[in-house]
Amino acid sequence: MSDDRGVWAYAITADAGDQDVSWLTGVADATVRTAPAAGLTVLVSDVDLNEFGEAALRRNLEDLDWLEGVARAHHEVIAVGSKLFPLLPTRLATVYSSDASMAAVLGGRRDELLAALERVGGRVEWGVKAYAVPDSEQPEAMRHEPASAEGGAPAGAGGRGAGLSYLKRRKAQLSAQAESQRSAAAGAHAVHGHLCRRAADARLHPPQSPQLSGDKRPMMLNAAYLVDAGDGTGFASEVAAAADAHPELDLNLTGPWPPYSFAGDEGQSPARRDSG
Amino acid sequence: MTNQPVRYRLDSDEDDPRSAERGLASLVLTIVELLRQLMERQAIRRVEDGTVTDEQAERLGYNLMLLDERMTELTEKFGLTREDLNIDLGPLGPLLGD
Amino acid sequence: MTLSRELVPADVPSQRIALVDLLDRVLSGGVVITGEITLSMADVDLVTISLRALLASVSALAEEST
Repeated sequence: MSDDRGVWAYAITADAGDQDVSWLTGVADATVRTAPAAGLTVLVSDVDLNEFGEAALRRNLEDLDWLEGVARAHHEVIAVGSKLFPLLPTRLATVYSSDASMAAVLGGRRDELLAALERVGGRVEWGVKAYAVPDSEQPEAMRHEPASAEGGAPAGAGGRGAGLSYLKRRKAQLSAQAESQRSAAAGAHAVHGHLCRRAADARLHPPQSPQLSGDKRPMMLNAAYLVDAGDGTGFASEVAAAADAHPELDLNLTGPWPPYSFAGDEGQSPARRDSG
Repeated sequence: MTNQPVRYRLDSDEDDPRSAERGLASLVLTIVELLRQLMERQAIRRVEDGTVTDEQAERLGYNLMLLDERMTELTEKFGLTREDLNIDLGPLGPLLGD
Repeated sequence: MTLSRELVPADVPSQRIALVDLLDRVLSGGVVITGEITLSMADVDLVTISLRALLASVSALAEEST
């Protein structure tokens, strides 16, 4: 390999068999190839280190257009590959100086990676996010806040008692908000528990901030579930049933995804244990 | 359902000379709103606890009501909404640290 | 029923996927392979950038300017 070429890794599989990946387009329009590494096979592209080397990456990753293009291309290879064979996506921006150095690193992790491949084989990831529905948008019977915003009109010609009734009104609103939040949190907990029982594994992720999600409502649940590939319709039905049962939540289902959230250590956030 | 890509990139609004002013106002008003909410919760708590007289409660409530109205005026003056101030102190109880 | 669904069948182009969901997965998901390798050329053998910090700083910038 010449000095300014590197190897960008997309995903790890046990054995790509005869699958032809050369028709795929990867990051920076590079072709995709399979590289044997320590008894495993890695989907890779050869890249220019002037764009993908450490210094260049730090620069380019601040360019969100560049990041979006690279992220989508990276995902596309992983998504297609995951339909050809079980694979573990590698984290974005995993770059090696050569196939040989990559193989040397992977050598030490072979058994662990094979075990992870075993866990995700034949399974896909589904993402469920839950937003708290504002009290005012819930069915009347479910609302915590009095429908009338009055709660006590100012009394008397001089507005005497206006201050007290303002405080009363505000207290009612704040209590209603508190109750609404409590019920959304309890609902999210219940939904997660229910979906965990339907999945082989689950991960809880931190809620997305409103700036990133584009949604002002509080995010009560951001979870990933590992589900048998053939059970997609069944799982989606469970999510729909959960949505019906919880009008205090707006559930959002995305998928099927390759097993991004399940590629790492089993030790990370074992959400299933929490749900009881 | 948000399906469009979220653009994080910030283009400073050179066409709107008030945007810098609005940025500063937003910062100041956010702090004022925070204080207003804290005071309001404290007042509600005191009325609940019975540690203020009826007259004190009425005066507290009245001033808070005026302050609330003033906040609406001020935010509108700067082309903001109350929601823009993006303050949510959450449930009534725990915030006051008791 | 308040369920919003974004089912992405296999052959739908990935452009349909919301960027925030995609970035969450490719940046903080996936297996992380690092290692210290001694090579005669003492190259940088692996570059794995943690991008959550980057996204956090970008979103903080977004907050400041609104």
